[in-house]
Amino acid sequence: MSIFSHTSIPARTIIKDGQSSGNATNTGTGDATVSPKDAHSTGVGDSGRWSTRRIAMYACFVALSMALSFVEFPLIPGVPWLKYDPSGIVALVAGFAYGPAAALIVSILGFVPHLFISPWGTLMAWLVAVGLSVPAALIYRRMHTRSGAVLGLVVGALVALVLAIVGNLIITPMYAHMTVSQVAALIVPALLPFNLAKYAINCVVTFLIYKPVSDLLNRSAR
Amino acid sequence: MAIPRILSPTSASDDAYDDMRGLAASLREVRYRYAGAQDWALDGVSLDIRNGEYVCIVGANGSGKSTLGRLIAGLSAPDSGAITLDGHMVFDEAGAHADQYRRARHDIGAVFQNPEDQIVTTVTGDDVAFGPENLGMSRTRISEQVAYALDAVDMTGHLADDPTTMSGGQQQRIAIAGIIAMNPRMVVLDEPTAMLDQDARMGVLTILDALHRQGTTIVHITHHADEAYRGQRIITMSAGRVVSDSTPTAEPADADTDAYDRPSQDDFRHLLQASGMPVTWLRAGSSDEYAPSDPSPASSGVSVTAAAPATNGVPGTADSPDAEEASTARGPALAIDVDHVSFTPQGAAFPSVEQLTFSVRSGETVALMGANGAGKTSIVKLLSALARPDSGNITVAGIPVATDRRYTASVETPHGTGSAGLRADRHTHIDSWIGRLPGSAVKPLSRKQRIELRHRLGLVMQHPEQQLFAHTVAEDVAYGPRNLGLSEQDVVQRVDEALELLHISELRDRSPFGLSGGQQRLVAIAGVIACHPDVLLLDEPTASLDETASARIRDMLVDLHRRGVTVLLVTHNIDEARAVADRVVVLEPPKHAGQHVDARRSRGTRNVETDGISMASGISSTQQAASEPSQAADGAADPHVGTGSGRSVIALLDARVKAVAFLVLMFSAFAISSPYQLAVGAVLTAGIVAAARIRPSLLLARIHMFLFLFVFAGALNIFFVRTGTPLAHIGPVPITDDGVHTAIIYACRFALVIILGAVYVETTTPTAMTDAFESLLSPLKRCGIHVQEIALVLSLALRFLPTLRVEIMAVAHAQAARGGSIESGSPAQRCRAMCAIIMPVFAASLRHADNLSLALDARSYEEGIRRTHWHDMRLHFRDGVFCAACVVYLVALVLAAVLL
Repeated sequence: MSIFSHTSIPARTIIKDGQSSGNATNTGTGDATVSPKDAHSTGVGDSGRWSTRRIAMYACFVALSMALSFVEFPLIPGVPWLKYDPSGIVALVAGFAYGPAAALIVSILGFVPHLFISPWGTLMAWLVAVGLSVPAALIYRRMHTRSGAVLGLVVGALVALVLAIVGNLIITPMYAHMTVSQVAALIVPALLPFNLAKYAINCVVTFLIYKPVSDLLNRSAR
Repeated sequence: MAIPRILSPTSASDDAYDDMRGLAASLREVRYRYAGAQDWALDGVSLDIRNGEYVCIVGANGSGKSTLGRLIAGLSAPDSGAITLDGHMVFDEAGAHADQYRRARHDIGAVFQNPEDQIVTTVTGDDVAFGPENLGMSRTRISEQVAYALDAVDMTGHLADDPTTMSGGQQQRIAIAGIIAMNPRMVVLDEPTAMLDQDARMGVLTILDALHRQGTTIVHITHHADEAYRGQRIITMSAGRVVSDSTPTAEPADADTDAYDRPSQDDFRHLLQASGMPVTWLRAGSSDEYAPSDPSPASSGVSVTAAAPATNGVPGTADSPDAEEASTARGPALAIDVDHVSFTPQGAAFPSVEQLTFSVRSGETVALMGANGAGKTSIVKLLSALARPDSGNITVAGIPVATDRRYTASVETPHGTGSAGLRADRHTHIDSWIGRLPGSAVKPLSRKQRIELRHRLGLVMQHPEQQLFAHTVAEDVAYGPRNLGLSEQDVVQRVDEALELLHISELRDRSPFGLSGGQQRLVAIAGVIACHPDVLLLDEPTASLDETASARIRDMLVDLHRRGVTVLLVTHNIDEARAVADRVVVLEPPKHAGQHVDARRSRGTRNVETDGISMASGISSTQQAASEPSQAADGAADPHVGTGSGRSVIALLDARVKAVAFLVLMFSAFAISSPYQLAVGAVLTAGIVAAARIRPSLLLARIHMFLFLFVFAGALNIFFVRTGTPLAHIGPVPITDDGVHTAIIYACRFALVIILGAVYVETTTPTAMTDAFESLLSPLKRCGIHVQEIALVLSLALRFLPTLRVEIMAVAHAQAARGGSIESGSPAQRCRAMCAIIMPVFAASLRHADNLSLALDARSYEEGIRRTHWHDMRLHFRDGVFCAACVVYLVALVLAAVLL
C-alpha cells in the first residue's frame, strides 16, 4: 500500500503550464525566524502525515461528500433512476489537494451512510467514485500542471465509465429481474449518456473550483 | 479535582527559568507572525501566569489576544522567544520541543469561541470521553471522569443526548466538560461566551468560577468588560503587545449596561423608549398591543396590530386604520404584509412565530428587533418563501408568498401571475425540501411567482459572506444580475453601481477569499443589491463587524431608502435602528419561547432546514433515538447503560457482530427468489424488528422515502419479464404472470433490505459504528494503513454531516435568492450554479476543519497514540445467539432454494 506511506505534502495549487511554482504558494514568509518546514508547529499533533489538521480536513471533506451524496437529481429526462449527485467533486478535489489516498478515503467513507440503505448500490458507487478520483489524483501528482489536471480528469472519467458499465451489468440484475444482455441493451441509450454527463459535470466543476479551494487550503489557520 | 503531582522542571538551560514551580505559564519576548502577514501578531510579549490564578486577557480584535491564548495553551509555537508551560520548557532558541509540548499539553485544556466545532461526536458521553480516551485512561476511570465532568457543568442528565442539536450554551458546557474530564491544571478559554446569550453566558462564567475555586488556573480571553472583572488579573493587549497588567480593584459601576452587546429585555425596553423612535411591540395573538412610546400611530406610519380573530385582523394602512377588510392590506402601499402568521419550525415542539400580524409600507425602512428566540429569523425565511407558515397570509411586493386556504374566501389574488393555487413544484425546487408537510392549509407560491419574488426581493441572510464563491469580487457580484438575464453591459453597470454604493470599487478584481471578514460581508451584500430588489430583507447584517464596515452598511441602507427601496432590517442594535430605520417593530417571544430562547441555533435554524432530507440519510435518526433514553438515564456514567440508543437486545449487541451480521443479511437478501425464501426472510426481519423494539410507525417514517423505489423496481420487472402466461398487454409489451410474480419478489426483498438497514441505523450510535469499523479493520494496520485515524475521520464526518447539510441548504437558498438554480437552465448556467453552491460549502468545510483541528489538539489527540476505548467491545451470550440465528436463517434460505 505505497499510497499510504508517502511523505507529508502541502495542499497543491494548480500551476499554469510553464509557470514556476514559486508564486503559486505564497505561504512562506521568507523570514529567517520561520522554520522552513512548518511555521508555528509545536511538533505534537499538528505536523506529519496524519496531523490533526489533516484529519479534521479529511473529516470535513468526507462529511461534505456524504451531505452532497444525498443531493440527488436525475440528469436525463426519462431515466429517473439514474440520479446525479455532486459528491464525486469532493473526492476529486481531495485527491488533487492531498493525493490518491485522500481521494480513496473520501470516495469510500463518503458513501458509508448509503451502505445500510442500498448495499450493492454502495459497492457500485465506491467502484465508480474510486475509479474517477484515484487515477485523476495519481496523474495529477505526477504531472503537476493544468494540463496534468485535465489529463487526470479525462483518464479518471474513462476508467470510471468502464467500471460503471461493468458494474451495472453485474449489479442491475440484482435490483431488477434483467439478464446481462438486457442491461447491455441499455448501455447506449441510458448508461453511456448519463455517466458521460455525470463525469463531465464533476470534472468541469472540479476544474473551476480547484484553484480557489487550494488557495483556501493553503491559507492555514495557524 | 486538581490532582497534586510532582512538577518536573526540565533541563532548564537558562537560569531565568530555573524554578518554574508555581508558574503555570511563562513567556519571554515572544514574537509571532502569521504566514504572509506584514505585522507581528505578537511583538515581544513577556508574562508569567502563576498556578491557580484567574487571568483575563482583553483587547480589541486583532490585538493578538487569541494568538497569545493558543501559545499559552501549547497549541501553537511562536516564531521566537521562550515559553515554559507547566514547568516544561516547550520553546526556546532551539525551537519547539515536541516531547515537552506533548507533556505540557496533557495538563492544559483549551476551549474556543465556536462551541459547535469542538464537538467530536454525536453522543454527549462519548464526546466527553474523547479526551480521556486519548490520554489512555482505563475504562472505569473514563466513566468516573465523564460523570465528574458532566456534573461539574450541570449536564449530567444529558449523557446520552446529541450535543450537536443542543443550544450554543449547552454545547459550550459540553466542550468545557470535555476539557474538565482530562483533569487539566490550566484551562485556556478563547472568548467562550462570544456566541452565547446572557443566560448561557452566566452559566459558563459560573463554571469557570467553580473550576478556579478548585485550584485550576484559568486564562480567559474575552472582550466583555464585565467578564474581565471576574478574574484576579487583567492583561490588556494592543497591537501585539501587553499594554497593561493590572489587578481589578472593583467592578465598574456601569459594567451592567455598556458591556453587553445584547441588553436584557428590561434594559432593552427602556433604551428603545428612550430612543424616541416609533416602536410597535408585537405579541403573539394579543390584540391592539400598541407601543406606549408610540403616541400617534397614524402620523408615524405604524400600521401594526396583532388581533386574535383571524379574519378580523386589520392591518390597515396608516391613513385608514380600520377602514377595510384584511384584503386591503394588499394595496400598493404595502410592500410586506404579514397576516396572522404562525410558524413552527420542523422538529420543534412550539411555534417560533404565533399569530403574527404586521406590515411594512412601500419605501419604509423598518427595524425588526426582539430577543433571541422571538422568531426574527423565522420571519425572514417566511417572507422570502424559504419556509412555509402553518397558517396565515404573507404578501411581499404584491406577490402572495403564502395564502391560507382557510382565510382566502374574501381575498382575491390581484396579480396576473396566475392564481396562487398553482401547484407547488415540489419536486423541482430545492426549497420544496423544507416545505411544510403536505397537509398544510397554506398554499405556497407558484414557480412563476417564486421567480418573480426572486426578482423583486433581496435577501441578506446572516453571515452572507459565507456564500461567496467566484474568483473575483466583480464576478461574484455579477452572479445575480446575470441570472436575471441582463445583457453583459447592464451586468457590468449593475456591478459597478453596487460596488460604489458600498465603497468597495477598489476590491473589484480581488479574490473574495483574500479579503477581511468585513470586506467579505460588504461584497456579499453588494451581490444582493446588484439585483435591484424592491424589497430588501437583512438579517443582522452588521453582526460581529467592525465599526467601519458597519457604517458603510448603514450608509448604504440610508441610500437605498432615499431611492425608495423598502427595507426590513433585523438587528439587535438600537443605535443602528435609530440610524437607518423609520420605525421599530419588536417581536415578543411566543408563549413557549422560554424553552427555546437558549435553543435558538438548534431549534430556530437547524430544524427548519434539515428535516426534509435527513429522512433520507437515517443518520440523524440515530441521534434522535439516542436522545430518547436520556430521561431514563439517571446520570450514572455507565457506558453500557447510558450510551446505547435504547436497551433492546439488538441495541446491546456487540457493534462488530451487529455490523457484520446486518451487512451479511442485507447482501444475502438479494438472493431471495422464491416465495418460501421471502417468507423466511420476512420472519427473520420481523423478529429483528421486534427484538429491536422499534415502533412500526417510526420504522415506516424512516423508510417511506424508499417506498416509491419498491414500486419502481416492481414496475420495471413487470415489463422486462417475457416468460410465463401473458395476462395483459400494454402496447406491444406483454404482462405475464411470471412478471408479476418477479415484481412482487423483487419489491419485497428490497423492502427487507431497507428495513434491516433502518433497524441497524436506528439502534447504533455513530461511536459504536466507528469503533466497530476500527476494530474490524485493525488487521490492516499491518499493511501500514492508519486504521485509527481513518476511523476517527469517519466518526468526525458523521458528526459534521448534519452541520454541513444545514450549511449547504443555507448556501443553496442564498444563491437561489440570487436566481441560481442547478435544476434548470443551460448546462453552462447549471455548472455555474453548481460552482456557486459547491465553492462556499468547501469554504465552510475548511472553516470547520480549522476549528476542529484545534479542538482535537486541545483534547490531546495525536497520530498513532495509544488510545483506550470507553465502550467495552466484548462478546456476550446474546451475540452468539444472534450469530446463530443468522446462520440458521442463511441455511434456511439455501434449503428453501434447494428443496422447494
